[in-house]
Order: sequence, then structure tokens, then C-alpha cells
Amino acid sequence: MEIEFTLNDERTTFDAGADELLVTALRREGYTGVQCGCDGGVCGASKVLVDGEARMACGMDAADAGGTEIETIEALGSQDDLHPIQQAFVDHFAVQCGFCIPGMIMQAKELLAANPDPSEREVREAIDDNVCRCTGYQKPVEAILDAAERMDGDDGASGQRSVATDGGNPTDGHERGDFDE
Amino acid sequence: MSENDPKPDGGTASQSSSVEREALDDHPLEWDEPENNRKADDERQSVSRPAEKDDDRKLVTGEAKYTADYEEQFPDLAHAAVVRSEIPHGRVTAIDTDAAESMDGVHAVLTPWSDGCPDAKYTSAGQSYPEPSPWDMNVLNEHVRYVGDPIAAVAAEDDETATAAVETIGVEYEEYEYVLDPEEAFSEDAPQLFADEDVENEIVGHDYDRNRMSNIEGELGDVAAAYDREDTHVHETEWSTIRQSHAQVEKHTSLAYTDEDDRHVLITSTQVPNHTRRQLAHLFDVPVRDVRVTKPRVGGGFGGKQAMVVEPIALALSLAADRPVIYEASRAEEFQAMRSRHPMRVRARSAVTDDGDIEALELYALSNTGAYGSHGMTVAGNVGSKPMPLYSKVPNVRFEADIVHTNTPQTGAMRGYGAPQGTIALEGHLDEVARDLDLDPIEFRRDHYMEVGDLDEIAGMMGGEGAERRIRSCGLDDCIERGKEAIGYDEIEQPEAEHRHRGIGMALSAQGTGVAGDELGGAQIMMNEDGSFHLQVGGVDIGTGADTAFIQIAAEVLGCDERDIVIKTSDTDNTPFDYGAYASSTTYISGMAVKKAAEDAKERILDWGSRLLDEPVEDLDTADGEVYSEATGESVSLEDVGYESVYGDEDREHILGKGSHSTDESPPPFAAQFADVTVDAETGEFEVNKLVVAVDCGVAINPGMAEGQVEGANHMSYELAVNEGITFDDEGRAEVADFDEYDFPTAAESPPIESILVETHEPTGPFGAKSVAEVPTNTVPPALSNAVREAVGVRIDEMPITAAKIRSRLDE
Repeated sequence: MEIEFTLNDERTTFDAGADELLVTALRREGYTGVQCGCDGGVCGASKVLVDGEARMACGMDAADAGGTEIETIEALGSQDDLHPIQQAFVDHFAVQCGFCIPGMIMQAKELLAANPDPSEREVREAIDDNVCRCTGYQKPVEAILDAAERMDGDDGASGQRSVATDGGNPTDGHERGDFDE
Repeated sequence: MSENDPKPDGGTASQSSSVEREALDDHPLEWDEPENNRKADDERQSVSRPAEKDDDRKLVTGEAKYTADYEEQFPDLAHAAVVRSEIPHGRVTAIDTDAAESMDGVHAVLTPWSDGCPDAKYTSAGQSYPEPSPWDMNVLNEHVRYVGDPIAAVAAEDDETATAAVETIGVEYEEYEYVLDPEEAFSEDAPQLFADEDVENEIVGHDYDRNRMSNIEGELGDVAAAYDREDTHVHETEWSTIRQSHAQVEKHTSLAYTDEDDRHVLITSTQVPNHTRRQLAHLFDVPVRDVRVTKPRVGGGFGGKQAMVVEPIALALSLAADRPVIYEASRAEEFQAMRSRHPMRVRARSAVTDDGDIEALELYALSNTGAYGSHGMTVAGNVGSKPMPLYSKVPNVRFEADIVHTNTPQTGAMRGYGAPQGTIALEGHLDEVARDLDLDPIEFRRDHYMEVGDLDEIAGMMGGEGAERRIRSCGLDDCIERGKEAIGYDEIEQPEAEHRHRGIGMALSAQGTGVAGDELGGAQIMMNEDGSFHLQVGGVDIGTGADTAFIQIAAEVLGCDERDIVIKTSDTDNTPFDYGAYASSTTYISGMAVKKAAEDAKERILDWGSRLLDEPVEDLDTADGEVYSEATGESVSLEDVGYESVYGDEDREHILGKGSHSTDESPPPFAAQFADVTVDAETGEFEVNKLVVAVDCGVAINPGMAEGQVEGANHMSYELAVNEGITFDDEGRAEVADFDEYDFPTAAESPPIESILVETHEPTGPFGAKSVAEVPTNTVPPALSNAVREAVGVRIDEMPITAAKIRSRLDE
């Protein structure tokens, strides 16, 4: 069946099977930042924003996406221009294997849109169903708290440059000499 | 054990009994450390700096590719599903595949009797060759030994069809008696899982009449005599641990195809590409050169992917279906049929004088290896050989383990590798002894633990890892002092409510770094004409940041920016040999190979610099992307060196460096753990207020990444202390099929963890590094048990620590 929805700010039509999960349809269309860690609505690795609400794409039928606005990790920053939440995860070494991170970042985006100045407890509760086996939550929580400060009430829409405490954009201050024969 | 028996720690060469006194000369305190290995902190340009993790930008943007993300590149990809045993023990007598084979979209069906199914025995353990694990299993099994044993496999056009086809396959069994409890299994009248002829590569101490896969033991001094002395008290305690799941968020996933040169290619989520290549060549009876194993990003390993579990099924189906096949285990399969930590009962016994001198120390472990023996002996060996060396000053030490089969799912390697089970027994026991003798638990330990200069004979008493080693770096004192300060050890305040009590418990831990005498890492580096480099390493980054550590090590040697190094790791066609990501070896072994490769390349770079600058090579060094002369201040850029070397007028060469590293050393990293708990003495309910873990990992190549490793490991250790693990019904069927049921501590349920890096300098490691990723996995169960004991006076010796158990002990 055809489903029509808005995906990352663009009107989109997917051809999806009757029982197909949203995660399967998104991944088939190349949105592989949406990960699949469990087999149904438990681990948080497939979280996307559906009309602004963080939901697991593996716990939702593709058909139910019809008419909604969906945002995936692909809508946030690029490698050269990270969203402040992404930049905070990088700067805090909150990423190890990274499999759960897109889902956690989408959850953080929902949280910070609703609550720009969360407490540590509120952050922990927000990511309570985002399973991470590598970092054990300490650094992701610190990263999200720092992202809140960096965004300072701004929603961190694309184009908002972050303040990197270290690292930073790979091209910044790193011009390679022109090479000619 | 005889001269040629495998070593309990994964080694395969000579044995402990042959370790003679003269061998001590092999472990001098002085280490001939290269001059450039020891740099003052302010001289380091890349190492011990928080360089950005190399793959982070693609990880946070979702652009990183894990195995399943390669699907889109294979339009005719088939998906696999597996028929698994529904009974705990028996023999398959018939398999009806007719309905499955006639289904639309089914490309291949394999059973143990199919021509396309490998029939060789193997072990799934990804270890060096010959493996110190028995070859006791088949890819598809006629004799099934646990609920979940693979019997048949299907490849179909999509997951749904493959799963539906599997459901049509009927299996008939002849059922056998079964046994789930390791103590029952270890008796002569228990149902027997193996006969001798079922196993190739049998392991030392096997006794299949009693379901024993292996028995290992080692002793220093005379433990029995110490027990008999009049001035000692004998203390005995017993501990049990859970069957912990790795629960990697990325499931075991493997994609197999055969390329245009008839070579078999596996894109696979593995910790051990080279071992997997060798094992596949064995199973499929093809030359090693005709198998290529390549590892993309891996979504967590923790030892669970130091096992060849899904790869052979994907490849066999791919050959049978004549198309690429992907096999991604389901989450339920992960809990039932992949791997887990060995549950154990460990008995600790000691002989201690009134003054608190430990005259003898002994551990005995009964390990449940499940239906097959992969990693069984080596993990059990580490129960003794990792934690016991902490107390190198104890004169009489003994360790023994029995490793038995039960009709339960397979165990395997898991972060800590036996050390967590040994650490709870040892550190819980010593805490109890100190309290019995009214001694300060920390000072009691301090009187016996190792220090720089000690010759650690305990690590060698079973001939395994570090078969005797000299301690050249040890930060235990600092770990304790800084940990005490961070947890507020001396200023603890009790809650106002009278029935609530607060206590701090502590535990120490030691691990190894690599397997002494049984590791190899290779690396090569080539210089591009723009002065940048391509670094190729066999080492395996499973999310730990190893690739970044390799880049930092190379950049430190070459004097270039980290971003001028492009890295490629873990592809058996394109990177040098490496034993893989396990035994805390990656930075230490593969990292040293990288250092050597970079030094090899640097030698050529300086030679070219000398030619271009017309200065003697002895005066030259590299830094900030240049070759410079200290004497004259003249310099030439690496870019010019790169250009001149390949396009210049004379003696052109491609600047290449190579390095490979193996060693008999395995220096221990150390940790001191503190747990602050408040317990309600009426209900047994407890809150963990804070965990602090201080780790001596030598020089941290990247402190931010190292902290992440420490905190992640400590969280996994917390889970080991408070989670039930995988539990089974009365046929050995996992009662856990998804993350909700596994019920591990979530972000909101987890205490804050403070990690402290205590820097020492390990002269045998690259720029002073030893390992960091495993040692903090060992320490929360004993520290938390000790904290509960301190708070309310009861001892929980059976994991997990729960309110019900505390209340029950309080009621006694």
C-alpha cells in the first residue's frame, strides 16, 4: 500500500507491506541511521520523531505513518555541521559502538524541545527505554545536559553551529596546502 | 597437566609445571624500553590527548555502516532463519522440509544431512590455533544438547518468508534424559552429553562420564600445611554468580556471498576476523586465502562476538542458494542460542593468623559451560589467574576448577572473562575475614597486595597468561586513596531514619593485558603524495575507539595531525594479521604493532628529509607535519616528502612502514571500586547512592575514551550484581526473550558512576599504556556485597543482590 507522509521536511510516498513495520520501510528506503536492536518496541535504537514525539519505528506499523511528520537522525546535522546534540555527544565521548546513539539523540531532541533545561533526573527518565550497552548512561546524560546549555532554548535547527570544546569541524583550522604538480 | 596440553588462559605452548626458577631471569625488573616510548606529558602531541573519536561523526549522524546496513548493496540478497531444537537433549530422527522447499520465495533449505551442510566438528570459540577449546559441535546438529541447538536453516527472499518456512519444518526426535544443574551434571549417574568420540581436540582434565569438559589446577607452596598450622584460622565462604547476557544492541549479524573469483566473503559483526577466516576455511574445506572476512562498524561485542556463531550458517546457505545471504539472529535467539557469561559457584578458603597474615589462599570454581565447551577451560582458568595475583605476597596459593556440561545454552567469552566470578569470591571473602578479625578491610588488603618489583608467580601457577610476570607498574595505592576521597569514605553520614543504614564497601581487581605469549598484531602504513597516510591494522574496533587509539599512536610517532591519517582495520584481504579484539589486548598488542609500523615509516621519512634538507639524519625529527632539524631550524613539510618520494627526480620509492608485535608480557591493570549504599533494615530495600571506580591503566592513550570504557564496564558490573541474568524453565528454555524481560538496570535505575584514571607508566606498552576495558567489569558485585555487609551486617553471597535476600538474611 502507498503511504504518504512528511519525512525530514519533504513530502514522501512509500510503498509498504500491510504488516510492515516503519523501521523496515525506513531502512529499505535508505534511512539506515534508524537501527533495529530488539524485535519490537523495546530498546529505543529505532527512535524517530513522529509529529515531534519520540517513538520506536520498530513498534509502529508503516501504515500508521500516513499523514504524519516524521523526523529521523538523517534530518539533523551533517558530519561537517553537527547539530548541538550530536556535537555534545562527540565532545563528551558519549559514543562508543554508536548503535543506540541515533535513537538516543532523537529522544534527547524531543526532551529538549519540551524541556529546554532538564535536570539530570529528567534526562535519565527521558532515556529510560534507550538501551546502551557500551557507555552505561553516565556520558550520554552529561552530553544531553550540555546540549541543553549549548542550545539555550533554541531548538538547534539546522544551521545552528555548536560550540565544540575540543575536536570541532574537521576542516576548521586544517587547510591542507594546495597540491599541484 | 602434560607438556603439550593447552594453557588454561588461551595459550597453547609449554606448561606451568615446567616453569622453573631460572625462568625468573626472564622477567627482569628493568625493561629495555625504547627512548621514544617514555615521553613527559607536555611532550606528547597526540597520545593522552582527548582526540575526537575517529568514527564519531558518522556514528552520531547515522551514516556509519553496520553489517545489516550493507543489505541495500545486494539486490538479490536472501534472508536466513534457523530451526532450533525444542527439546533439551536428544537425537533428531527425521526432518520434514517438503512444505518449506515448495514455498514461493524459498531459495535453500539445509539440514545436517544436506550435501551443502559442513559436517566437520569445530568450536565456536574465536581463539588462536590450535584452540584451547574442544571441537564438539557441528553447524547443524543431529545430536541436540539444549533447547535452541541449530538443526536446520532456510534462505528465502525476505525475513517473513524465511521465518514462515521455518515454521513449516517438522522435526522428530528420540528424546534423552537431560540435566540442567551443574552439580547434578557432575555425578557419574547423570545423563551424559558427550562420549569421547564426539569430541576432537579434547581438553585437559576431560571426563565425559561425569560431563566434565575440563579440570584445571595449580598450586604454589603448600596450602594444606598452612591450614594445619596452630596459629592460623581457616575461613571458608562460597559465592554464586548469574548467567549474564552480552545483550549487544546489534544482534549477531553476518552477510555472506561468493565473489567473481569464487572467493567467499563475509561481512560480519565479529571481534575475530582472522580466527573466523581460519575456522570457515576448516569447516568448508577451502584454503584460507579463499575466504575474506571484513568487519564494518560493530554494535557491541563484549566477548559475545569472539565466537563464530552465525557466519557458517550464512555462508552455507549462500552457497546452497547461489546468492548473497544475510543472517541476523532474532533477539529471542540472542538470549537462547548465542552466548552468555558462565554462571559459577566459587568457594574461597584461607588460612589467616590472628595478626591478619594470610598464610594460604584458595579458590575452587565449578563452572557451568552449558551444552558445548567453547571458552570453558580458559574462562575458568581466569577465575584464579586474574584476581588471585593481586595478593602476590601470600606464600601458599591454590586454584582448581571443574568445568561441566549441562543441557543449557552455550556460554562463551564475556568481558572480564572469569575474573568477575573470581573477584567476587576473593574480594567478598577477604572482606568477611577482615571483619571476623576486626581488621580494617583496606589495610588488611594493603598488607598483602602486589607492588612494583614483585614477581607475580600466581599468574603463572597454571601455566597460563603471564606465566610468571614482573610487576613494572602498579597504581593500587593511588587508586584506593583517590577512590576513598571521591566516595567520601571518611565522612559518611547516616540517614536520620533509624531503620535506614548507609555503608561503603570496596573491592580491588586486577586483569591482564593480552594473553602472554599468545597474541599477534600486525600493522602497515603507507605515505601518500600529499603527506597524508593510510594506516592498515588487523586490530578490531568493536566500538571501543581502538581505531582512534591506533591513529593517535601513529600520529605521535610521525609528528602529524591525526586527521592526516586514514585508517582501515579488520579486513582479512586488506589488513595485516591480528588475533582480534579480546583479552584486553587491542591497544597493547595491535597498538604496539602500529607504533612499530609508524617508526618504520618514519625512518624512511627522515631519510628523505635528510636528502631534501641536506642535513644529517641524526639531527632530524618530525613534529607538526614537518621534518625539522634541531641544529639549524631548517624544515621540510611531510607533504613535500610525500611528493618527492613518489614524483621526485631520483631514487623514487613508496614510503611504507610495517610492524608486528607479540610478547610474553601481560601487565595487569588495577582497579579500586567503592560502592555507597543505603539499606532499609526493615524491608531490605536498598539504594546505591554512588559507584566510584579508580583504574590504573598505565598511560591512557585517549582519556575521554578510556573513561567511557571504565564507566561502561562498571555499569555492566553493576548489572552483574543486581540483575537476575538469563533464567530458564525446567527444560532449559530461556525465560527471557527480549530486553524488557532481561530487565537490566536502565538509565533511571542506575546509580551515578564516577571514573578516575590513575596514570602510571607501563614500560612494555605503547607510550606506557596497558589495558582498561575489562578490569572495571569485575568489581561491583563484591563492593556492593561488602557495602550491604557494612550497612546492615548481613552477607549476600549469591548474586543478584536483592531486597528479598537482604530481608531474609536480616530475619535469620
